[in-house]
Amino acid sequence: MAMQDEPTPVQNSEPAATARPVRHLEIKAALLLAFTGLLIAASVLYLLYARGVFQPTQTLVLMAEDSEGVVVGMDMTFSGFPIGRVRRVELAETGNVRIVIDVPKKDAHWLRTSSIFTLVRGLVGGTNIRAYSGVLTDPPLPDGAVRTALRGDATAELPRVLASAKEVLENVSRMTAQDAGLRATLDNLQEVTAKLKGPRGALGVMFGNDSDAHKLVAALDRTNVLLARVDSLAAKADTQVFGPDGVMKEARATVVQLNGLLAETRESLKKVDAVLVEAQGISANVRGATTDLGTLRGDVEANLQKIEGMINELNRKWPFARDTQVKLP
Amino acid sequence: MTVLSHSAQRLSRAGRAPLRWLTGWGRIIFFGASVLVLAMTPSSYGRATREALMRHIYVDTAPILPWFTTLAALLTLVITRIVVVTALSYGLSQYALEMVIRVLVLELIPLTAAMFVALRCTIPNGAALAEMRRLGRFDELARRGVDPVVTLVLPRAMAGIFATLTLAALSCVVALVLAYLAVYGWTSAGLAGYTRVFGHVFDPSVALIFALKTLFFSFAVSIIPMASGLYDVEGDGSRESAALQGLVRMFAVLLLLEAASLTGNYY
Repeated sequence: MAMQDEPTPVQNSEPAATARPVRHLEIKAALLLAFTGLLIAASVLYLLYARGVFQPTQTLVLMAEDSEGVVVGMDMTFSGFPIGRVRRVELAETGNVRIVIDVPKKDAHWLRTSSIFTLVRGLVGGTNIRAYSGVLTDPPLPDGAVRTALRGDATAELPRVLASAKEVLENVSRMTAQDAGLRATLDNLQEVTAKLKGPRGALGVMFGNDSDAHKLVAALDRTNVLLARVDSLAAKADTQVFGPDGVMKEARATVVQLNGLLAETRESLKKVDAVLVEAQGISANVRGATTDLGTLRGDVEANLQKIEGMINELNRKWPFARDTQVKLP
Repeated sequence: MTVLSHSAQRLSRAGRAPLRWLTGWGRIIFFGASVLVLAMTPSSYGRATREALMRHIYVDTAPILPWFTTLAALLTLVITRIVVVTALSYGLSQYALEMVIRVLVLELIPLTAAMFVALRCTIPNGAALAEMRRLGRFDELARRGVDPVVTLVLPRAMAGIFATLTLAALSCVVALVLAYLAVYGWTSAGLAGYTRVFGHVFDPSVALIFALKTLFFSFAVSIIPMASGLYDVEGDGSRESAALQGLVRMFAVLLLLEAASLTGNYY
């Protein structure tokens, strides 16, 4: 019975086995409960805030060909800053992928009607949805807008790059094969260089046979002879033209004479000039005389009219005047 | 003849082992369900139970809260530093914060809190209950018309659940604050980005799994040691055997819960 009253060592090991009573136990327990409750409630509220529950959002729908790497909850970034979150990924009626994104209203002004959306898949890390707005003065993107996401896939390029590399390697392999054109070309080139090093050199390479090369050499020799003859001809012409009795000396004398002739001509022209000046004076006088002639002509005309009148009078009065009157029988 | 009978005895004991094992789990589940039903029944909270509950809630939680929070803070600082430096050296610093939150808050801290509470409170409580039962305290209470499960077991189990939840919640908050300070320093500039990463990690399914995992951890560490103490589930009925059984079964359940939560989160 005594054992039941006194706690055993095992009973003493539990935290509540302390013999000392806790002061204000009720208040302390209530405070602890309240503390835990507040802690959990605050954590839940923070989680809801972090999930964007208290944030007004607008919806953006991106259409893509492939949903690979796109998961619910992933971010859409603009200049590296997350401005949206994928809410749903679903298949559209056309077979494309509809990516429904929630964009908070406070960040929605970065998206414009001209914005471009890309779905980029890097070599390391997940897929990224990025937005680019070139013209920020365009109208803002409306709520529920549907846009096409351009696919930029680094790993998708790999098969193409590998295929291209394989093609290049195959080409190189074909070029270096035993019966390949490049090898034949190299053989020919080697033959050509051997010919170049031969006695005929480049001429042998150009003509391909020795007879043509011979002809060219003969033509060159004849050309040399012709050039020698042309040279002597030029020397003779030089003597005839520029020699002591050459054409050139006579030409120089002729030029001197021409100079004298020109001087004389200049003198004559001066005289003609003076004559012209005088002629100008004469013409001025003639103009004055012409004015007087007008008056004179008037006088003469008046006199002539008078004379005509007098003659007519004489004719009338003269006995031999004609009877101009017609007498009828 | 003697050899044959001895072999038959051993065989029959080996054949009964799975049955005993199943019976033991059945008793634990039944006890857990009973405690939960009692916890949700208002008539269970009589004066004696209320007083015991308050005492156990305070005594089981308050003394270990500062120590465990300090331990969690140290663990957070060390792991955050390791993760951030490693991620930086690989050029993957953008994933460091997410990894810290996932490793610490989602996985390590609830498990550590549950084990801390088990070692500090619920296993000693279970052993004490086994001792009391062995000394006939339960029978004495039952003779007086008092249900020993309501007056002795329920407050201890509830206190264990409460302690696990409190420790996990406080340590997670401390870990979140310290991880932020370790990555961004004494500035509020990274608060928006940090909140975003936190929201990104805790999507609805992860948050639900986290809450359920912490709750089931608290149930496991509170109920299993006490069930092992109350019933002679296995062994010779000694207190050492009860404590050991409780410990083994509790760790097995914690492992299963952790595996289930990992499967839920990452598959």
